[in-house]
Parts: sequence; structure tokens; C-alpha cells
Amino acid sequence: MNIRQPSHKTASLLRVTCFIGAALLLAGCSTGKLVVRGSQTIMDSGIVAMNSETDLQLARAAMPANLKLMEGMLLEDPENIDLLLFAAQGFYGYSYGFIETEDPARAGALYRRCYSYARRTFSLRGFDIDPETASSDDLQATVASAGKGDVPALFWTASCLGKWADMNRDNIAGVAGLSNVAILMQRVIELDDSYYYGAAHLFFGVYYGGLSPMFGGDYALAEQHFQRAAEINHDNLLLVDLLHAEFLDRQQLNQAAFHQRLVGILEAPDDLYPQMALINAISKHKAALLLEHEGDWF
Amino acid sequence: MNSASSLSKKLLTGLLLCISTLLSTPSQAERIYTLKFATLAPAGTTWVNLLHEWADEVRKESKGRLLFRIYPGGVHGDEPDVLKKIRFGQLQGGAFTGYGIGQIYSPTRVLELPFLFNDVEEIDYVRKQYMPDIEQGYRDNGYELLGWMEVGFVYFFSKKPIVSLDDLKDRRIWNWQGDPMGKAFFDASGLSPVPLSIIDVYTSLSTGLIDTVYAPPLGAIAMQWFTKTSYITDVPMANGIGSLVVSRRFFQNLPQDLQKILKRTGVATGEKLIAATRKDNTEGLEILQQRGMQIVEGAEDLETGEVENIRIRAGESLMANGYIPEAVIDKVNNWLKDYRAGKAKDTVDVPE
Repeated sequence: MNIRQPSHKTASLLRVTCFIGAALLLAGCSTGKLVVRGSQTIMDSGIVAMNSETDLQLARAAMPANLKLMEGMLLEDPENIDLLLFAAQGFYGYSYGFIETEDPARAGALYRRCYSYARRTFSLRGFDIDPETASSDDLQATVASAGKGDVPALFWTASCLGKWADMNRDNIAGVAGLSNVAILMQRVIELDDSYYYGAAHLFFGVYYGGLSPMFGGDYALAEQHFQRAAEINHDNLLLVDLLHAEFLDRQQLNQAAFHQRLVGILEAPDDLYPQMALINAISKHKAALLLEHEGDWF
Repeated sequence: MNSASSLSKKLLTGLLLCISTLLSTPSQAERIYTLKFATLAPAGTTWVNLLHEWADEVRKESKGRLLFRIYPGGVHGDEPDVLKKIRFGQLQGGAFTGYGIGQIYSPTRVLELPFLFNDVEEIDYVRKQYMPDIEQGYRDNGYELLGWMEVGFVYFFSKKPIVSLDDLKDRRIWNWQGDPMGKAFFDASGLSPVPLSIIDVYTSLSTGLIDTVYAPPLGAIAMQWFTKTSYITDVPMANGIGSLVVSRRFFQNLPQDLQKILKRTGVATGEKLIAATRKDNTEGLEILQQRGMQIVEGAEDLETGEVENIRIRAGESLMANGYIPEAVIDKVNNWLKDYRAGKAKDTVDVPE
């Protein structure tokens, strides 16, 4: 094997460069941070694997350990925006998929934790305002400057805050904060309406579809948002139909549509959307629960 | 032999009795009654949570013979729609605000006359005196009052501060279309409001068609009107009332023991709702201020004798169109006078 040895001068330069590089890395990054950042691709793949999981029991059992791992990594690298977004997304998914139906109070606390991580990304992206208590005009003016790169921070901040308020509808501050959630989601739609499977449209489908017109509900607008979410996902995301039935059909007392949509979810093939198999499995589980209550609501 | 024959007869009679009991239709005492009850309040809110607690209590006390099916969030439409459905038997009851109560027994809305009460103690005192008349009025019109509630003190929410009645004259104020109370107030104040359905208020605030609305703090938050206004005038223009109601037909069909359970628990639920609403409205005002809304204090002529003239003129117009009889207004004024005199006396009598 003939490996060309560097000349003395080149070797010295390389040593100096390596030394400076290492010193810079050590000054800016602890070993923990380096490890965290090095393992980020594993985390990316872990989320892909979780989203494509079809076994609900396995997913439910696996998620808490992953969430705690993320929280541990965040102790090492607290300003890591990608990791903060993973944590927000993880706590949201775990609460929505497995906790909120059986224990809304616990889900509320988990959504609050989800919000605390998302909120940090919102600040780290340079938004110097409290999205929970700011006046609508101030928040609107602040996020007017947001660009496409801010969309994940805006979306997860809004999603977690919105869900926390949803679990605490008897909390006046939470109800008052919903208008700000809508402002953030509207900005997401303006910047990239297909972000995260068009979920901002799902938010507005529920927002306008789950309330009487007296309280700001608008059924036609809700219908449009659900349609756009379905279109973005080529009709493969069962969550769209689930939320349509749970909120809009129920609010309009349309039992036939409610029933038909939920039965349609149960009958959908398990491999309809392989990369989002977990949320489709959760949608099927929730559809069955909603059908059990059909007699109470209509 | 005789005794055997007698025993056989007894056995036969007993057997026949058992068979006839089994074959007969369920007696009134065994029947299960379902009360379909609608409210505009959204699911999960304090109001709806308390209604569910009420339903649980009734189910337990009646041993499952009286069940509620609660429809929150206005799924059965607004209050006039719900009243129509109650009349047709599609629903049996609901929670109503003054707007709906006006269609049940309009004199009740004397309690919503503008600038009538100074504080909640006055409200509670007068309501207590008036309650037997209200209950009878509901009965005469086909409804049974189960519990009393309120939506609370109603304030002006505006885009610009309101410090006098003249300021109000320059504003584009919303008036709930078709509401005689609102019309009487605005006529008496010499104001020309913009009549709109409550559904159009939020959008109209956004487009600028209106710039001033009235609501209790909780209502302004729930309907998101606070996001389009910046000022609250710190003089409540009225106190919004509310009722838990069932159709008289449904109530009378219930066995007496179930009537008693429903009535007793309904009264208690109403009291809980009043306490919760007052707490939420107080908290709501604080939250609105935290979010940058400014309270406009000391609106000059809104705190002087002029508001009394407005109330008198509004009362006169409601008497003229038969919405509230003169005798009812006189009674309420007298109770209020008595209460204020008694309170003044108590204050004087308090030892140092």
C-alpha cells in the first residue's frame, strides 16, 4: 500500500488547523452537544420508523422512552431547535394518540410540556413576544416578518398551545389564547400550507367546524380546510375524515355523514399510507371509540 | 281437603297476580325518561361541565330512571331554534339567556333593564322576591323553570374609548337584531345602532361595519370579540340573565318523585352556575387587561342621573309594546328601593 506521506510543512499546517478546529468545537460545543448532534440522524430515522409503525401497542410502549431520551439530550443541548421540535412533536403525538381520550387532565399537562419545547424554538427563531398572552395585533405584526424557515416553530407552538387550551376549555386564559393560535396557524398556511401533511388546514377545519356560528364557527370554511388537507394527502390520511366526523358532522348534527365517514375509516386498508401508518392506526382506533358514542350525541 | 283446596286457590290467585304484573306495561315508576337538553355553551366549558354534573346527580338519585342527553355548542341551533324544537317535542329542555327567555316569558327581562343594579347583592335580593312570579309566568307559557343562572354584567367593548354618552353617539354600535331589550335601550339613549345577527358580529368588527359591542367579559372572550376591540367601559349597562328550563308537558309527565329530584337539583345547579359565571367574568376581566385591553373608568354621564332617565325611558317603551307590564317594573323598583333603604339603615346601624 503506497500512501503518500504529507510533507513536513503540510503536516504542521494540518496539525495547527486540527488543533484550532478542535479548540473551536470544544469552546462552542460540549462533548454532550457533539454526541447529541452526531446522533441527530438516528433521531430523524427513529421518527420515520415511529410514524410508519402499525402496531399501536408497540408504539405506545416505545414512545415514553424515546421522549425521555430526547429530554435527556436537550439537557445537553438546550438550544437545539431540531431536537426541541422533535420533542414537541413527540409529546404531541403521544398525548393525542394514547392519552387524551382516557385521561384529559394528564394529556393537558403533556401538551403543556409540548408547548414549553415548541415555545423555545419560537424564541430561538427570534420572535420576541409571548404568543400566549400577546395582544392579537402585536402577535400578528410580529409574525408578519416570519419566513418559510420559521414554519416548524410557528406550527408546533400553535399546535401545542391549541391542544393545551382544548384540554382546558374551562380555563378562561386558555380560551382567550385560542385567537393567537389561529393567528400563528394562519401564518403557517400563508407560508407553506402543506407543512406537516397540511395539518394547519386540519386545525382550521376543527376551529371553524367545532363551534356554533355564534362563537365564530363557519361550516363552509371548515369544509374547505378539510378538503384541502385531504387533497394534500391524496385522500390517504384518515385523520382528516376522523376530525371531520368528530367536529363538523357532529356540530351540524349530521348523523348519517358522521357514521359513514367513521365506518369508512374502519374499512380503509391498513397499508393505505405506509409512511403515516401510525396516525392512520390511531385514527381507526379513535373512529371505533367515536362510533360507540354515536347514540349519545345525535 | 278443604284446606288443600283453599291453598290451591291462594296459589292460583298468587300465580295470576304474578302473571298479570309481568304482562302489564311498565308502571310510571319504572319507566325511563330521557331529557334532551340543549345549550349554546361549548363542550368542556365550566357551564357544560356543571350541566354534566347535574345529569350525573339526577341519574344517581333517580336510580337511572331519569337520564339527560346534553347537546352543547349550539348543535341544535340558536335559542329560538331550540325553543321551536322543544315545542315540537324534539328536545325537552335547554339553557337560555335573556334573548330566549324573552320568548318564554318576556316580563322576566325586567331584570335586564339598563343600569338597574349596582352590584350582585341587589341582583340576588330582587331576583329572590320576583322568583315566584317568574316561575308562574314560565308555567303559564308551557315551561318549567328548573334553575336560575346569569351571563353577568354586560359592558361596552369598543375600538375607541367611550367616556360619555356623546361618545356613544359617534360610534357604530351593534344591536342584537330582533331583541326588544336592545332596541329599547338604544331608542331611550337616542342612539342609532347597527342591527345585526350575533353570528355576524365578529366579521362586522373586522370589516369596520361596527366598532362597539356589548357583552359580559366571558362572552367577549368566548366569541373572540375582544380581539377586535381595545377598550372596556367600566360601567355595566345591564345584567344578563339566564335559565335552565324544561317543557311543562315533559315535567308534568314525570312521576312526582322525579319532578322533585329535577327541580331540587336544578335549583342547586343554577346556584353553582351563577357562582362559576361570576368568578369567570371577574377572571375574564383580569385576563383581558393582561392582554392589553384598557378599562375606561369614570365615564362621566354614564355614572350620573342620565342613566336613570335612560332606564325610565327604556322601561316606558317596553311597557308600551307590552313586553314588560308596568306593574312588574313598579314591583322591581319598589324591591330595589326597599333593599337600598335597608342597606343604608344597616350601614348606619353598624356599631363602630
